[in-house]
Amino acid sequence: MTGPLLDIKNYRLDIGTFDGPVHVLKDINLTVNRGDTLGIVGESGSGKTVLVRSVLGIGPRNSKVVGGGITFDGQDITALPEKDWTKIRGIRISMIFQDPMTYLNPLFTIGRQISDVIAAHEKAAGHGVSLKSTRRARTEELLDQVGLPNPAMLFDQYPHQLSGGMRQRVLIAMALSGKPDILIADEPTTALDVTVQAQVLDLINSLVAKLNLTVIMISHDIGAIATIAKRCAVMYKGEIVEQGLTADILSAPKHEYTKRLLAAVPDIDTAATKVAAQPAVAEPEKPGVLLQAVDLKKVYRSQSGSEVVAVNNISLSVATGEIFGVVGESGSGKSTLARMLLRLIEPTSGDIIFDGRNISGLAGEPLRLMRRHMQFVFQNPHSALNGRHTIGDAIGEPLRIQTAMSRRDIEARVEALLDIVQLPKMFKYRYPHELSGGQKQRICIARAIALNPRLLILDEPTSALDISVQAQVLDFLQELRAELDLTYVFISHNLAVIRQICDRTIVMKRGEIVEQGETERLFLSPQHEYTKALIESGRKTSRAANLAAPAGS
Amino acid sequence: MLTFAFRKVLTLVGTMIGIAALTFVITNVAPGDPARLVAGPNATEDMVATIRTEYGLDKSLPEQFVVYMGDLVTGDLGQSIVTTRPVLEEVLRYAPATLELVFVAMALGIIVGVPMGMLSAVYKDGPIDHVTRIFSISGVALPAFWFGIILQLTFAVDLGWLPVSGRLPLVTRPPQTVTGLLLVDSLFAGRLDTFWTSLQHIILPAIVLSFPCLASILRVNRAEMIEVLQSDYIVAARAHGIASFRIVAVYALKNALLPTLAMIGLRFGWMLGSTVLVETVFDWPGIGLYAVSSALSSDFKPVIGVTLVIGFFFIVANTLVDLAYAWIDPRLRSA
Repeated sequence: MTGPLLDIKNYRLDIGTFDGPVHVLKDINLTVNRGDTLGIVGESGSGKTVLVRSVLGIGPRNSKVVGGGITFDGQDITALPEKDWTKIRGIRISMIFQDPMTYLNPLFTIGRQISDVIAAHEKAAGHGVSLKSTRRARTEELLDQVGLPNPAMLFDQYPHQLSGGMRQRVLIAMALSGKPDILIADEPTTALDVTVQAQVLDLINSLVAKLNLTVIMISHDIGAIATIAKRCAVMYKGEIVEQGLTADILSAPKHEYTKRLLAAVPDIDTAATKVAAQPAVAEPEKPGVLLQAVDLKKVYRSQSGSEVVAVNNISLSVATGEIFGVVGESGSGKSTLARMLLRLIEPTSGDIIFDGRNISGLAGEPLRLMRRHMQFVFQNPHSALNGRHTIGDAIGEPLRIQTAMSRRDIEARVEALLDIVQLPKMFKYRYPHELSGGQKQRICIARAIALNPRLLILDEPTSALDISVQAQVLDFLQELRAELDLTYVFISHNLAVIRQICDRTIVMKRGEIVEQGETERLFLSPQHEYTKALIESGRKTSRAANLAAPAGS
Repeated sequence: MLTFAFRKVLTLVGTMIGIAALTFVITNVAPGDPARLVAGPNATEDMVATIRTEYGLDKSLPEQFVVYMGDLVTGDLGQSIVTTRPVLEEVLRYAPATLELVFVAMALGIIVGVPMGMLSAVYKDGPIDHVTRIFSISGVALPAFWFGIILQLTFAVDLGWLPVSGRLPLVTRPPQTVTGLLLVDSLFAGRLDTFWTSLQHIILPAIVLSFPCLASILRVNRAEMIEVLQSDYIVAARAHGIASFRIVAVYALKNALLPTLAMIGLRFGWMLGSTVLVETVFDWPGIGLYAVSSALSSDFKPVIGVTLVIGFFFIVANTLVDLAYAWIDPRLRSA
């Protein structure tokens, strides 16, 4: 066996759009040998997903190869006809995807989906499709291989009955069904919780060792790349700007972009470099309590009568001017808590006291007026803005609803707000799709501060953004707080981000607070087992941990 | 699944009571004195009063309502003034013809509409897509009575391939009634020639009735298929090496069928209503024709009866759609 397993040479790809072709991939050169683990790191829009999908012949519609080619195991697969792909796709090269929630068909059982893949492979290989029971046995074996408990029961379950981590394992099992040479992993951990991320990465690592897999993993999370890949390529605007051993790139990045990317990664083991927001003179008296929750509880009842306690008797108090962190995994109740604080969800019991006034009993007009003082910023700026309204409409909306300002005044205020969030005034005429993710999140923040609120509740405000953009938005949020005297409740599953900006933090698990205190104390000497586990798994994917580990251990 | 089905049936009963109440209210707000209407223009005040007592119209509205609902529960829909026979009996006599027409039209709509929608989506923006889109727009746009007459003129009068109207020729003895559906009964009776004749009779009205329905099924299915084919799990299925035909015909279709099903349920009710028009054009002896002739002779009990029956079938159809939803989508079963 000579030559590389996968060889991409001078590969160039255009996507035809309404305004002419866009050069999505520019002169890509990449070789992967058998047994390699290659990471491709880059931001959204860098072309990394298009590149790996081209390797599988499932590139976007309207795309056109304009130069170079891809060779797999000595065979040119650049312009392979669809019928020849059936012998490669899923069998010799297979793929796992970013979001296990959406990559499984919701209407078919797990077993059906995997055994269909097995049947398709048998058909492609030319020998007839085996018996249902044989395929079932093979499916259960695969499920067992990826560490899923009770495969026999799982076989007849539907995707919605599984957690995110389990679904990702199912997808991995599916990808392994053809005993592939190459496994392509497209952001396999991005949509998962921290502890689950670590488990999935461990699984991939163990499979590499056990099955002698060749892995190409793409991610914007350089920490995840570092745990898997020995070699690494950095993509930026359709080009590979740097490639080499992962350890070398991490310790001595050469390209300007790589340096910026690495600098933007928040590190779980670095204490916050918090902007010294409040000058010492301005803090003579102890700041008062702005928001207080007393025994807040939310119980959901399903129609079958069973009860789910989403938030269980939580009490907390947020001081004026503070950044109050809420950390926990999905399902811990942190979003429910945040929405209850604003009474977007009605609590089952408990009180919410804002600025000395109990708002849990408010209704109608008084509640509406109270909302001026507390605003919400959502996780995903792409879906939080209405695509049919201009930016000016979006920011002006709360002003039109809550104030009696004239149109001219609103116009002026919108421009002033754009100025505050450091965007050009002309943006008010634009539509959301013309803006980048970071810009959209700034617009959402501008909309939230339009009425001069005192409290902002930020629900995972950066988790839908690229890492370098995340850093900018976090910096900006800290400046804004100092400028406008804001108090934040900051919700995140990302511990490094929490450590970077929060003064005090609560750790939530299954609707309860398991630990709370000063953020630094929490990180330096966590008391509760769960906090320790969270920090440990966060550290696993953190860059620092990989660098600190002695090479070759 | 069983509790789900049980809940659906309960809802069905509730909605039925609602419809009954609504028709009662409508007949009572409608202007005119029914007693006077029944008595005729030359009746004396005494005669009107007698009729009023006889029909229970002298009682208060709530009392009338109780009597009305009681009659409904016992299956008494009143009497037709023209034929002086119980409305229920007449409705039951005419309903099978309408149902047969609607079933055939619906089958046509599904069998043609769903695959055409799929083809259109798979070859989006290609020639096939353009042709089906023109086809579907004309389906929604063509008025039924005009389309029906054009078909009659072309296929019955000019070409002579198919009969102009009716359900069976007068000379043909209908097969023994089992279901009331001629296509089924003739097969039960083993009379293939009768089956063939009734099929020839039903083709044109079924096409007219199904065309708008077919068009909307096609459009919904096309739009859904396009959406589903772009979804992540379809990309994943391709990446795992599943054949394209299987992806479209099994994986994507099942997901796209959900909204299409909702459309089918709605269109079923719409069709029952439309039979009034189509049955008139084709002289089809169903409840639509019955309702029209009754309304023309100011005979309102049959009209109310037909309304109730159409409402009933509509609700049953939508309950079946809901059950089919749950059968297809496991997420609804556990909800």
